[in-house]
Amino acid sequence: MTTPTGSSSAPDPAPDSAPDSTEGSGAGPTADSAPASPGGRRSWLREHSELGVCVLLLVLGVLVLTDALTMDVDITQRGPVGPKTVPVVVGIGLLVVAALLAVDVLRGGRGEAEGGEDVDLSEPADWRTVLLLSGIFLGAAVLIEPAGFPVAGALLFWGAAFALGSRRVDRDPLIAAVLSLFTYVLFDKLLGVPLPGGPLMGVL
Amino acid sequence: MRLRTPLALLGAAVLVLAGPPLLSSGDDSDSGTQIPGLRFMVPNTPGGGYDITARTAAKNAEDAGLTHNIEVFNLPGAGGTVGLSRLVSEHGNGKLAMSMGLGVVGAVRSNHAPKTLADTTPIARLTEEQDVVVVAKDSPYKTIDELIGAWKKDPGKIPVGGGSSPGGPDHLAPMLMAQAAGIAPKSVNYIPFDGGGELLASILGNKVGFGVSGVGEYLDQIKAGELRVLAVTGPERVDDLQEAPTLKESGYDVNFTNWRGIVAPPGLSEAQRNKLTRLFEELHDSSEWKKSMDQNGWDDAFLTGEKFGDFLDAQDERVVSVLKELGL
Amino acid sequence: MNALNSLMDGFGTALTPVNLLWAALGVLLGTAIGVLPGIGPAMAVALLLPVTYGLDPVAAFIMFAGIYYGAMFGGSTTSILLNTPGESAAVVAAMEGNPMAKAGRGAQALAAAAIGHFAGGMIGTTLLVALAPTVADLAVDIGAPDYFAIMVLAFIAVTSVLGSSRVRGLASLLIGLTIGLVGLDQMTGQQRLTFGSLQLADGVDVVIVAVGLFAIGEALWVAAHLRRGGAEPIPVGRPWLGRADVKRTWKSWLRGPFIGFPFGAIPAGGAEIPTFLSYVTEKRLSKHKDEWGKGAIEGVAGPESAASASAAGTLVSMLTLGLPTTAVAAVMLAAFQQYGIQPGPLLFEREPELVWGLIASLFVGMVLLLALNLPLAPVWAKLLRIPRPYLYAGIMFFAAVGAYAVGGEVVDLVILLVIGLIGFGMRRYGLPILPAVIGVILGPNAEQQLRRALQISDGSVSGLVDTPFSVTVYAVIALLLAWPLLKRLVVRGRSRTDA
Repeated sequence: MTTPTGSSSAPDPAPDSAPDSTEGSGAGPTADSAPASPGGRRSWLREHSELGVCVLLLVLGVLVLTDALTMDVDITQRGPVGPKTVPVVVGIGLLVVAALLAVDVLRGGRGEAEGGEDVDLSEPADWRTVLLLSGIFLGAAVLIEPAGFPVAGALLFWGAAFALGSRRVDRDPLIAAVLSLFTYVLFDKLLGVPLPGGPLMGVL
Repeated sequence: MRLRTPLALLGAAVLVLAGPPLLSSGDDSDSGTQIPGLRFMVPNTPGGGYDITARTAAKNAEDAGLTHNIEVFNLPGAGGTVGLSRLVSEHGNGKLAMSMGLGVVGAVRSNHAPKTLADTTPIARLTEEQDVVVVAKDSPYKTIDELIGAWKKDPGKIPVGGGSSPGGPDHLAPMLMAQAAGIAPKSVNYIPFDGGGELLASILGNKVGFGVSGVGEYLDQIKAGELRVLAVTGPERVDDLQEAPTLKESGYDVNFTNWRGIVAPPGLSEAQRNKLTRLFEELHDSSEWKKSMDQNGWDDAFLTGEKFGDFLDAQDERVVSVLKELGL
Repeated sequence: MNALNSLMDGFGTALTPVNLLWAALGVLLGTAIGVLPGIGPAMAVALLLPVTYGLDPVAAFIMFAGIYYGAMFGGSTTSILLNTPGESAAVVAAMEGNPMAKAGRGAQALAAAAIGHFAGGMIGTTLLVALAPTVADLAVDIGAPDYFAIMVLAFIAVTSVLGSSRVRGLASLLIGLTIGLVGLDQMTGQQRLTFGSLQLADGVDVVIVAVGLFAIGEALWVAAHLRRGGAEPIPVGRPWLGRADVKRTWKSWLRGPFIGFPFGAIPAGGAEIPTFLSYVTEKRLSKHKDEWGKGAIEGVAGPESAASASAAGTLVSMLTLGLPTTAVAAVMLAAFQQYGIQPGPLLFEREPELVWGLIASLFVGMVLLLALNLPLAPVWAKLLRIPRPYLYAGIMFFAAVGAYAVGGEVVDLVILLVIGLIGFGMRRYGLPILPAVIGVILGPNAEQQLRRALQISDGSVSGLVDTPFSVTVYAVIALLLAWPLLKRLVVRGRSRTDA
């Protein structure tokens, strides 16, 4: 029990664990506009979904280069390195790595998905939970100013616990509320780090 | 179970909604200089100049019994312009004030910030501080004339170190100096450092030709003989540094002083504005504040209301004219 | 010896029952507040500044020393247990510490961190006493070209953390460098990748990047692949360090300070780069290379010890030069000024009782820290026994509090989520997280020093190699790069003679 078992749940040799990974890059829409003609093509794309990462790196590289090259530098530059130099180097680096990675993927290289104690790579990825969690987080961020920190924080905790499978509706909201209110008091009242109190501030 | 769920939800809702207002103490009366719930915003990080000004002012005001519990919080970013745009968005909030100074004026212009200080309600200028021109003790430059002579010959070879980013006070001072000495500001080799600390090491190690920073920052190093002060930038010699000439008396027409003050959100009522102004007037008269100014080596530069507003406009124009020459 | 006598006097000051009490209170408060999300040591010291107003200066600074070390340790605690570093110096601790905690070795990781802090602080403070004036003089001579040379060395070291697939490691590093580019250019004030947003003008904070990539990214990744049903609580394991652990780590504890202290003392040093360099060094020297990334205890012990020693180094330049090299030092400098005391070349002469009392209380604070926190390590580690949904919900909650409390900006939360999604994507496609974080730390630093060096030399490239220090560093780099080649030649030569 006491020995580290971090490696025990490493993925077995061929776990293509994300069947619907055309949208799998997680950082934005990518290569999901592929034509859905014959089934062979589709599975090829599924197999090579890592190419989406290459596309993202490519886009990022172009973005960095555009930003650097459209920068207008009026100040006198001393020496070979100005405000544009490093972005240009990084941008070119991104393009090169995107190309190298594409070559690697097409030759059959695969990035190994990260394992871990709580991670079960033999099951297909559960996209609903990820979307739900991101939505809850974003919702809490939007609510924090109008509804106050205690409300937003409690919803974040309860929502996240719910998304992760806890269904104790009679208990979780209370835990969330107490945790959130406690944090509010600790930061706002005891430490003097201001957090918004909510719509009833000044009414009650 | 069936009953417990709605009860739990109800309990949670009551806690998060009614908890905060019930927990906030309503003990302060809103009379005299008392402003319950007053908050000071600091637009840079803990330990910085505006931070020290705000925390000192808050503590002195509490000690002098002017108002209880002023909450000081930091909202750093982009030379103070992030804090400024938050302040401007708090239209009509008479319980918020921001500590600021010349650096914010410069940052607004050099960042092309959408909100300027003209959008705020000026409350008071509190302190001012001259800049000093210093070199290491083993530097070849013994006088300001020697330094400027060499600087004129090849501006690129004499890097100037300052503790603020372009547009900040330590950047403006050497630019004004260059202008007065007939050096094109664009050819000045200005190197910004993260505050006075890193800059000090570069001056001591002779990495830069000379350094420009606030008087208070290097007083001890000058007294210990580690640094040699060549000039001060203000209109008169500084009490603690009688030996250092002003730039003006050395023949360079520069009159530059850094300052710090307080502004409030726009759209305040007459009463709100008077109340804040009165708080700072009484703070200025308190013995606690006088003691703090002494300890920190700040010079009194108290100025309120309209006059402070006019002063802000004038400073803004000056910054704009310097930055224009640099093409920023 | 003069310094020794003065130090003894200092202990006389620090060991009075009342001052001992203040030191203990400082350690407790510092640890408690350092554990909170979004509050690093600088913030903790700034927040607790008012608490010390009523005290006389000596007592106040003794309490401060306790708060400082306590807050640093508190920051590492959340880093190890929850994968949410509270400040940049604690980022590296999450790398090996969190996997250890997940595997039920949280108590050992915390103990290794606590002893690391103790060892680093002790050795660092001893070096402070012995070397303060010398180090301060040397520190001033280190300039931009020297820093840049060190950065180049650090970039070479990054190659050893790129992971099994070089190209994926490089991709991760470049993502980090790109995030590091965001913000106003430090030298000219040009906006880069800010898209006109003021909130992005100061760049993305390393802590936000680390918390986003580590904590949020992991929470999302786990959410996608949560082991359904049979999720046992994380085992608590044995509470103490075993003999094997100590055998593995004692050298790391002792090595850390010699990396951390010099970096703390030089003006642009800080704690991020030494903790990273210590991590890389330990990895190189480790006999258990297969455990790295899955919870190698040396990877906690070395960096934590380096971080603590770097804090002691920071005090050298602050006390002797009045030169604040970190945010904490800047806050402490402000505190000195509140009492009308100006740290600097004259401080040791003017306020001997205060300075030596403070230094002595650093030693005392360290002992108290160890005495208080070692027994608490197993207790903290039990935190991880709470059920998975609550654990990950709690991590997201705390990450959000941390990101929001610092500036009160909703934008920071959105940035945190975006970086979390990037972290999720990186986990899915096997891009290692560590190089990205290192890129964010090293990139801006290296660029600034490079350009500063070139400005000082008025644009001449020779300005990068015109100091003995930088030349030495480049020679070391050349040797490191040539070493594998030389080794191969030697081996080939030998096998030829054998045959």
